Amino acid sequence: MISFKSVNKWFGDLHVLKDINIEVASGEVVVVCGPSGSGKSTLIRCINRLEPIQEGELVVDEMAVHDKKINMTKIRAEIGFVFQSFNLYPHMTALQNTTIAPIKVRKMKKEEADKLGRKMLTRVGLEDRIDHYPAQLSGGQQQRVAIARGLCMQPKIMLFDEPTSALDPEMIGEVLDVMKSLATEGMTMMVVTHEMGFAREVANRVVFMDEGKIVEVAPPNDFFTNPQTDRGKYFLSSILTH
Amino acid sequence: MWGFYFNELVHSLPFFLKGVWMTVAVSGLSLIFGTIIGFICGILRTSGNTFVKLIIGIWVDLIRGTPFLVQVFIIFFILPSFGIELEAFPAAVIALSNLAASFICEIVAGGILAVPTGQREAATASGLSGYQQLRHIILPQAMRTILPPLVGQYVLLVKDSSVVSAIGVVDITRVGWLAVQRVPEGLMVFGLVGLLYFAICYPLINLSSFLEKRMTVVSTRL
Repeated sequence: MISFKSVNKWFGDLHVLKDINIEVASGEVVVVCGPSGSGKSTLIRCINRLEPIQEGELVVDEMAVHDKKINMTKIRAEIGFVFQSFNLYPHMTALQNTTIAPIKVRKMKKEEADKLGRKMLTRVGLEDRIDHYPAQLSGGQQQRVAIARGLCMQPKIMLFDEPTSALDPEMIGEVLDVMKSLATEGMTMMVVTHEMGFAREVANRVVFMDEGKIVEVAPPNDFFTNPQTDRGKYFLSSILTH
Repeated sequence: MWGFYFNELVHSLPFFLKGVWMTVAVSGLSLIFGTIIGFICGILRTSGNTFVKLIIGIWVDLIRGTPFLVQVFIIFFILPSFGIELEAFPAAVIALSNLAASFICEIVAGGILAVPTGQREAATASGLSGYQQLRHIILPQAMRTILPPLVGQYVLLVKDSSVVSAIGVVDITRVGWLAVQRVPEGLMVFGLVGLLYFAICYPLINLSSFLEKRMTVVSTRL
C-alpha cells in the first residue's frame, strides 16, 4: 500500500530522511517512534506530499508520489491525515468540518455528505457535538472530529502525526480508543506516536527512527522487550523510566 | 457680512451637492476597482510565482513611496505625452483606484498570511484544490483580519480623493476653491467642505469600529 524505496529528503542543507526503505501492506498498522528531530513526522508527511521528496521512489496505492507531474489531489483524497494540532477549520461546525472535502472533492450531495458526517461523528462518540464549533470542544473532542473528518473521505490509509501529543493526559485515552477501533477494523495506518501501550496493543510493526534513518523495524513485543540496537535501547529506557 | 456670505453659501448649496456627488462617484468607483484589483494582487502576492510576487512588491513600494498628488499628475500629464489622452475624471479614478489597490493588496496579503499554515495543510491533505482552499478555508478566516482595516482604508480613500481637485475634477474640495472666490470667507466655506467630507466618512468610521468589535467577538467565540 505504501512503499518507500531509497527515499532521501533535504531541508536546504539538512539531510532529514536518509535512504528510507519500508513497505506497509494493506491493513497493516505501523507505529513510527524515535527522538524528536529524527524525521518521523517528515516521513509520514511525505506520503501525501505535504513535503516533497528529492530522491528515491515513493509509491502509495500504486500511484507514484515521487513523480512531480502526478496529480496529488486524487491520492490525497485516499489518505486521511490527522495532525498533532488538530487543524480543524475554526469557522465551521464539527459537521461542516467533516463534510467540506466530501462535497468539494468527492462531489457528494450535501444531504448525503451530512448523513456521512453524522455517521462518522457518531462513530467517534460525538453525536451530541455535531453543531459545535471547534472552540467549543475540548482537545480530545477536537482530535476526534479531525479523525472523523479524515474518515469521511473513506480513505484507504490513515496517517497520524503525534495525534495525542497536544492533549491533556485524561483526553488521550478517548482518542486512542477511536484509533484502536479503526486498527481492528482493518484500516491501513501509520502512526507517529510515543504511546507505547497503543503500539503494543494494535501495531503490527514498530519503526524506530533516529537522525533521519530507520534504525529498527520489529514487531512491537520484540522491539519493546529486546531492541536490537543500542540507540533503540537508550530510547526505550529514556521514555519508559518516566 | 456673515449673514450675507451665509446666504451666498446657501445659494451655492446645489453646487456643493454636485461636488459631493463627484466625490462619491470618484471614490465609489475607485473603491470598487481598488478592492477587486487589491484582492487579486493580495492573493497573487501570497500564492503566485516568485516573479509575479516581485512585480507586485515593486509596484506596492512605488505607490506607497510617492506622494499621491505626484501620481495624479503623472497619470494626467505624462500619459498624454505617450499618446494616451485622458479626461480629468477617468484619470482621477485610475489614480485613486491604483492607490487603493496597492494598500488593499497589503491588507489582503497580511490577512491571508495571518491564517495558520496548519489550515492550508489540513485542506491540502483532504484533497481540496488551491482555489477551493482559498475560497472555503483561507479567505473566510482571513476576512476577519481583513475587513476592519479594509473599511478603514475606504475612509482614507474618500479623504485622499480631495487631491484629484488639483487636475480640475469638480469634487467637494474644488467646489470649495471656486466658492471661496465668490464668498471670501475661507473658514465658513472650508468648514462646510470639511463637514461634507465628514458626513461621508463618519458612517464608514463607525462601520469600521463595529466590524473590529464584531470580528474580535467572533474570533474569540470560534
